[in-house]
Amino acid sequence: MIERGEPAGIRLEGVSATMRDRNRGEITAVRDVDLDVRPGELMTLLGPSGCGKTTTLRMIAGFQAPSGGRILIAERDVTHVPANQRDIGFVFQNYALFPHLTIFGNVAYGLQVRNNSAGEIERAVAEALELVGLAGFGERLPNELSGGQQQRVALARAIVIRPRVLLFDEPLSNLDAKLRVSMRGEIRRLQQALKITTVYVTHDQEEAMAISDRIAVMEAGRVVQLDSAEALYRRPASAFVAGFIGRANLLHAIVESVNADGAILDVGGQKITVPAQGAPGAPVSVVIRPESIAIVSTDTGLTGVVQSRTYLGDKIEYEVSFGGQMLNIVRFNPAEDEGHPPGTTISISIPSADVRLVD
Amino acid sequence: MAIANVWTRWRSAGDPLRAFVVAVLWLLLALFVLYPLVELIGRALSDDSGFTLAPLTAAINSRSNLRAFANSLLLATLVGVCGTFFGFLFAFTVERTRAPRFWVRLLDVATLLPLISPPFTTSIAFVFSFGPRGFITHDLLGMNNASVYGLSSTLAAETLTYFPLAYMALRPMLAGIGGDLEEMAFSLGSSRWRVFRTVTLSLTVPGLANAFLLLFAASLADFATPLILAGNDFPVLPTEAYLQITGMFDLKGGAVLSLLLLVPAGIVYLLQHHVVGRRRYVTMTGKGRASASQNSVAPWAGAALMAFCLTAVLFILYLYALLLIASLVTSFGANHTLTLAHYRVIFTEGLPAIEDTLIIALIGMPIGGLYGVVVGYLVARTEFIGRPAMEIVTMLNYALPGTIVGIAYLIAFNQPPFLLTGTAAIIIACYVFRYSPTGIRTTVALLQQIDRSIEEASFSLGASSFMTFRRIMLPLIMPAFFAGLSVVFIRSMTAISATIFLVSINWTLITVRILENMTELSLGPAAAFSVFVILVVVVVTGVLNKVLRRLTAPGLRLPAVEG
Repeated sequence: MIERGEPAGIRLEGVSATMRDRNRGEITAVRDVDLDVRPGELMTLLGPSGCGKTTTLRMIAGFQAPSGGRILIAERDVTHVPANQRDIGFVFQNYALFPHLTIFGNVAYGLQVRNNSAGEIERAVAEALELVGLAGFGERLPNELSGGQQQRVALARAIVIRPRVLLFDEPLSNLDAKLRVSMRGEIRRLQQALKITTVYVTHDQEEAMAISDRIAVMEAGRVVQLDSAEALYRRPASAFVAGFIGRANLLHAIVESVNADGAILDVGGQKITVPAQGAPGAPVSVVIRPESIAIVSTDTGLTGVVQSRTYLGDKIEYEVSFGGQMLNIVRFNPAEDEGHPPGTTISISIPSADVRLVD
Repeated sequence: MAIANVWTRWRSAGDPLRAFVVAVLWLLLALFVLYPLVELIGRALSDDSGFTLAPLTAAINSRSNLRAFANSLLLATLVGVCGTFFGFLFAFTVERTRAPRFWVRLLDVATLLPLISPPFTTSIAFVFSFGPRGFITHDLLGMNNASVYGLSSTLAAETLTYFPLAYMALRPMLAGIGGDLEEMAFSLGSSRWRVFRTVTLSLTVPGLANAFLLLFAASLADFATPLILAGNDFPVLPTEAYLQITGMFDLKGGAVLSLLLLVPAGIVYLLQHHVVGRRRYVTMTGKGRASASQNSVAPWAGAALMAFCLTAVLFILYLYALLLIASLVTSFGANHTLTLAHYRVIFTEGLPAIEDTLIIALIGMPIGGLYGVVVGYLVARTEFIGRPAMEIVTMLNYALPGTIVGIAYLIAFNQPPFLLTGTAAIIIACYVFRYSPTGIRTTVALLQQIDRSIEEASFSLGASSFMTFRRIMLPLIMPAFFAGLSVVFIRSMTAISATIFLVSINWTLITVRILENMTELSLGPAAAFSVFVILVVVVVTGVLNKVLRRLTAPGLRLPAVEG
């Protein structure tokens, strides 16, 4: 493969995109997004459909012009540089293989465009196909390959040119669940080995957590939180992020009093503490992960009534009514005699460190 | 790199080159589609004092015209019903019985023949078979002075000529009804007959309606078959309009009659697009569908169906064999000495017509192919003001009966400022604007299959717009271009309904010569001409297919487009 220098960073400064939609008129798909993808990093844009993540990616690629802001790759302003001069590799959701070219022809295409010698091309293509586990498939046509194989070809075609930036647009969404898991591992392995700065778009939070260095969670055209998977999980900035990354209980409460350790909240008569400040009497929302709530035999002052109990082998999931609201509780590795059938009243404990105030 | 620049600018929104191409196309469409129609209507509906409906009401009140109108509708309805029935039986037999592969190929060949023949080949063969000296009527049955002319033989000849359209429209539809649906109905306890009625037939209803309308329109517009076979007792509108103009030199009367034809043709067009178009059940789930059930027909029923189809196929082949023999004997029905005299005639006396036809077809072919691809690309991949209107206008001459288009051209280009009568240009223009829409629709269908991300993938790999066009888009559009070429060539060789009004001393056509031969009762040369046309069409389309196969990879499949 063609050797390249240091990996490049990508910076978005106040990037917006407005588009004309036939039915809805002018819509703003991306609003004032700032992003700083570090050299060699794999950053995921995560969010529900319609949040602007794909539009952001397509603007980085140059398929779409931003209506405002600047895009920099390796500190060079590429906002008005066409896609074919940005030195990128793009992997499409639908693979977008050239149907009339063989696998070899598909992978070689980018090298032929760059006027490499025939021998060099042959070597580089063979190496790329080897890397994605498709050595010997060169003479086949795309429609003779399975979906997973086609996606590998798309991957090989994107990395063979050793782009400074690799862009993925929901590359695994057309594959079945098992293949998705193994392919995402492969993508991560390749990205690490080649040290290519990568932006990866997905709506699957597990996929995002599995492969990313950092995740930018997007909602309605904005980046609402940008952090590592662990930080997003432990310290979600909003109920939306908490709900999108993992499972979360959202409780509405009233601040009762404030002391040095934090605030005491009232949830329908039951009291929980949260390590944060607040004005007494103000309504607030808190997020509690289902697995951080414990069912205990001692009296903690907090009680709930089991509404349903679902046995799932490695865990049991409960729905518990608590202070007039519904609480999900997950108990991992349950003991053989763990009962709590629906209708029983249980004592629970909620560690205040695991309660998080959100907007 | 100049071309690269042009291509780059072509792609970007609102660029001058594209605007220029669109403007040129609109000019051409205005001149060759809209202007002739306006002239036709103007001529038909005016007298010395200006616009008036009087000619139309007079035409409607004429008994003979009303009779021709009623005959046209009757014939078209019967052809629609019979042809759809034949087409359905053929399609059903191929898709649902255990017919051997060889038989299916035979069926395909036999149904392809009428599509690439001059329109009145079947009629000529009918004369050879059932005419006064016909093989069956005279030689086998010993009848003297058998009459082949009239409704029944016109109906039979048109049904045989047009049922392949129904077959081609219905076969993919039946294939699309997954066998799992039928098996599901079986598992619920239905009998085979009940499954056929309630599932298979019900799901095919929109297809049947579509096929009927297709055949109705084809028969309504058919000019050659009734001219040869209908005789004096069964006048229909297209032939009446033609006789009005060539026999009585009454251009205005012909124009009025062709307008009468416009009414049912327009109704059929609207029905096709607004009723049938919306009712497509065929299941497009994107999942690999279950293969058609071969268990849905009882063995005896399958055998009966195959026997029926084979009989029809043998009859078609018999007609073409008659044509071939008639071209090779001194006088069919009287003197069966082998001779090449008829071919000598067509290559001496008939040579000008052959040369003219080939020149016109070979010039029209690339123009029509290019026009189809350009319009198809513009319509499918770009946005410009008036795009939907252009889509409709480009289809007009294709949808209108040839008689209307021919008379409209005759009126429009007979006087300055656009004096084209007597030139090859008027014939070529007629063919290009009348038969390129197949190329347009194929291009559109093809481009709809090619996701935009394919182009983007090429850009992302560093390719320029021109490189993307040359290496990616061009090979992908190529099949549509070649489909356009084939159709324009085949029609240029075989069509007559519109261009019979446009030939002159300087430029004539093989099909017109065949017609003249038929009226002069020199049947031998007519047969020889027909055989020659079929051979040329088979060879040229064969070569085109071969070239296309060399140019494109097997990874591409051309979407099926009727016409």
